[in-house]
Amino acid sequence: MIGGLLLSHAAVCLVLAAAGRRLGRGSLLVAAVPPAAATVWGVTRLGGEEPAVAHVSWVDGLDLAMTFRVDAFAGIMTLIVSGIGVAVFVYAFGYFSAADPAMGRFATTLLAFSAAMLGLVWSDSVWSLFVFWELTSVTSFLLVGHKSTDAGVLAAARRALMVTGGGGLALLAGLLLVTRAADATLLSDLGPVQGASAVVGAVLVMVAAATKSAQVPFHAWLPGAMVAPTPVSAYLHSATMVKAGVVLVAVAGPALGSLAAWKALGLAFGIASIFWGAVGALRHRDAKLILAWGTVSQLGMLITLFSVGTAHAVLAAVALLVAHALFKGALFLIVGEIDVRAGTRNIDELGGLARSMPIACFAAVLAGMSMAGAPPLLGFVAKETAIAAALDLEGPEAWIVGFGVIGGSVLTVAYTVRFLIAVFGAGPQTPLAPGRGALPAPSVILAAAGVAGYGALGVVDDLVGEAAARLSGAAVGHLHRWPGLTLELGVSAVVLAIGALVGLAVSRRPPRMPADLGARWTDASIDGSVAFGRTVCARVQHGSLPVYLVTMTSVAALAATPFLADVSVDHLVVWHRPLQVLLAAAVISAAVALCFVGTRLGAGLALGGAGIAVAAIFVIHGAPDLALTQLLVEATIVVGFVLAFGHLSRSFPLTGARWRAVRMAIAGLGGAAVVIGLGAASANPSGSPPVAEMATAAANEGGGGNIVNVILTDIRGLDTLGEVLVLATVALGVVALARASSGTASEQSAGTASERATDAASEPA
Amino acid sequence: MTDGAASMIRLGIRAASPFAVIVGCYLLFAGHNNPGGGFAAGLVFGAVLALRTVAGFYRPTYGITLVAAGVFVVAGVALMPLLWGGVLFDQQVVSLEVPLLGTIKTGSALPFDLGVAAIVVGTVIAALDGLGAAEFAADPQAPAEQQ
Repeated sequence: MIGGLLLSHAAVCLVLAAAGRRLGRGSLLVAAVPPAAATVWGVTRLGGEEPAVAHVSWVDGLDLAMTFRVDAFAGIMTLIVSGIGVAVFVYAFGYFSAADPAMGRFATTLLAFSAAMLGLVWSDSVWSLFVFWELTSVTSFLLVGHKSTDAGVLAAARRALMVTGGGGLALLAGLLLVTRAADATLLSDLGPVQGASAVVGAVLVMVAAATKSAQVPFHAWLPGAMVAPTPVSAYLHSATMVKAGVVLVAVAGPALGSLAAWKALGLAFGIASIFWGAVGALRHRDAKLILAWGTVSQLGMLITLFSVGTAHAVLAAVALLVAHALFKGALFLIVGEIDVRAGTRNIDELGGLARSMPIACFAAVLAGMSMAGAPPLLGFVAKETAIAAALDLEGPEAWIVGFGVIGGSVLTVAYTVRFLIAVFGAGPQTPLAPGRGALPAPSVILAAAGVAGYGALGVVDDLVGEAAARLSGAAVGHLHRWPGLTLELGVSAVVLAIGALVGLAVSRRPPRMPADLGARWTDASIDGSVAFGRTVCARVQHGSLPVYLVTMTSVAALAATPFLADVSVDHLVVWHRPLQVLLAAAVISAAVALCFVGTRLGAGLALGGAGIAVAAIFVIHGAPDLALTQLLVEATIVVGFVLAFGHLSRSFPLTGARWRAVRMAIAGLGGAAVVIGLGAASANPSGSPPVAEMATAAANEGGGGNIVNVILTDIRGLDTLGEVLVLATVALGVVALARASSGTASEQSAGTASERATDAASEPA
Repeated sequence: MTDGAASMIRLGIRAASPFAVIVGCYLLFAGHNNPGGGFAAGLVFGAVLALRTVAGFYRPTYGITLVAAGVFVVAGVALMPLLWGGVLFDQQVVSLEVPLLGTIKTGSALPFDLGVAAIVVGTVIAALDGLGAAEFAADPQAPAEQQ
């Protein structure tokens, strides 16, 4: 079922990519079908005891199987990803105008994201997790850059890709270290790890989570990503994709939670983001940016709670995860509706919306109350549990986490109050465009779900409790609809009161546009890296073919030196057959002659002579395939020489004695490296070559008599695939070089291009 | 090079091409049990095209198209078994009774070899273009005079 659902996403993606133009806005409704199926599947699985497991071993012999495991936590994430996905697709149908030509592409990318996100939360193998993690980064980049004509949009898309993509690299490195330390590649098998490499790995994984979940100081891409259409902001950048980092921290918690560095770094990211995000939400004047900064703050809260890792904190975190997806999704959709109808999101230009958009206002107040943590909403329960979890801790940790959670809650109330007053409060009436059918429904449903969750807390408690128990590995407490007259309820009341006062005070402040320092610094560091890369590239890729060759040969020679000691004279045989001596002499004399030939044609002939003699050696050793290929390559290269000589002078340009001596020394070095390598290899045979096994395998499995070819096409087919892809890349490179040189069309550049192309043409050898 | 020598060479290339193509086809199909295979076949076809280009008969321009088609075929052969639950590069062997030729045993290695050959030929054509094959099509004698 898991594989079927993912494949159905992919299949609908293909259909939309092909027929999207014809379907237009209807693509969005077609795209809603696979997430709806996933939601239904998720609902039917709720409360099931056994996790659903799927395993696809797609390449034998490598530990790269796609393994999925949908347990209680992944089940909740499925409902968030696919359930909110359906709501967003329906909403997007109303959000975009029917005339928008790019709807097919948009729906395809959004559905691809949905599939990638499902794959991510379902993954049990860390490698599947990594692949889907990167897919969400790429699709997010495409969706942020949807309006690709605007320079600001492109800058924001690049920022998002660079930060989350860089985090992906950290994730890969971290996962390699962690899986080595734990000796397991399945998340469900990862046990507590120890050791220095595990610490480094844990730090890298936490950094990756922080980039994806927009934690300070990697947060700047998230407010920037608000240039995307609102359905994207609501779906990717509040409900799902930014949760990927949180999910990673959650599922890696059992293995890495015992490392002090993991917890310390998680708390540092989380608490810094709680406060800086909330401050951002209090400063900005674009309603969508207020929500985005609020998301940074809420994600910080989630990272903090998951990093603490106690059963109570994990329970609070899962509850908050669910509550946040509902209320933040609803608020984003409402802001998008306001944007479509009022034509602005600037809070200074909005006024009187409470009267003109009563449904939206009602839904926003519900969702806002959940965000602020006021009863009777799911957000209240989550925040109560979080405060109780913080009060449960002991020692300095209690103070740090308590400070973060309670201080963060105060600021959350403050920016919620400011948001609601600023958007729906009194002011000159904003003129509105007529409403669109599909727009209000999804936000009302999401906001109402917060109330329903509070009403049916028993059901929510079962699901959340089970997920938290799976993550923390211990029995967890319960969510309480009304905690009674406890300390945390008192704290909550104080938080609400102070937060409301702060929010009122801030919303009275005169309007001032805040500077976006984070984005500027992030862009500056990206530009700096690009400039540094250009400088290094200009130094290393200077375009001088001789220097390239010298560098390559010298490095190869250096690489051979460690094996010098392994060469043993006992294993070296002078010849097996006398004919070999003759052929070796032919090869050597051709090579030496090559160094002294003055004309290019002569050099080409000498090269060919050496090549043909080598082919003859292959024949003596009984390798007709190699000999055949070698001869054919030689023949083709001759034609290449003939073509290239048309552009070049008849003789080599520099033929001084020193020039020749240097080159012969380099060539000798290369030859010595090969001799050392082969000598060392023949002195240390590891078992006998499996020729007989290969022959049997070739006849039985590959069904062929020619072992060489069966090895190429079947036994080591993956290697051949890689090789021909290299060949295809070379072809592309040659074409690109030829186009570049024909563009400049000067004699010199044509010569350089030919020389490079000759080099590339000899690659098949 | 005199005109006579050049026309002899052109005649030789023209006469040899069909046989070379037959040899290439043989290598392509023989590869499974005898020396040959997609790589060798691709090189033979590539050499034929290169010679004909140098002689000024023909100037192929579809190098990158061939490379792309080859990559598709090769990747398709690699991924196809996954569809019916096999692993990457699961070999399928098919035996056919063909009149006159008798039993022919072939399999997914054949399309794989075809793809490899297409990539090799495409690369050779791309290299020819990169080396300025366009001039030869315009005037086959020109490069000889330049030298």
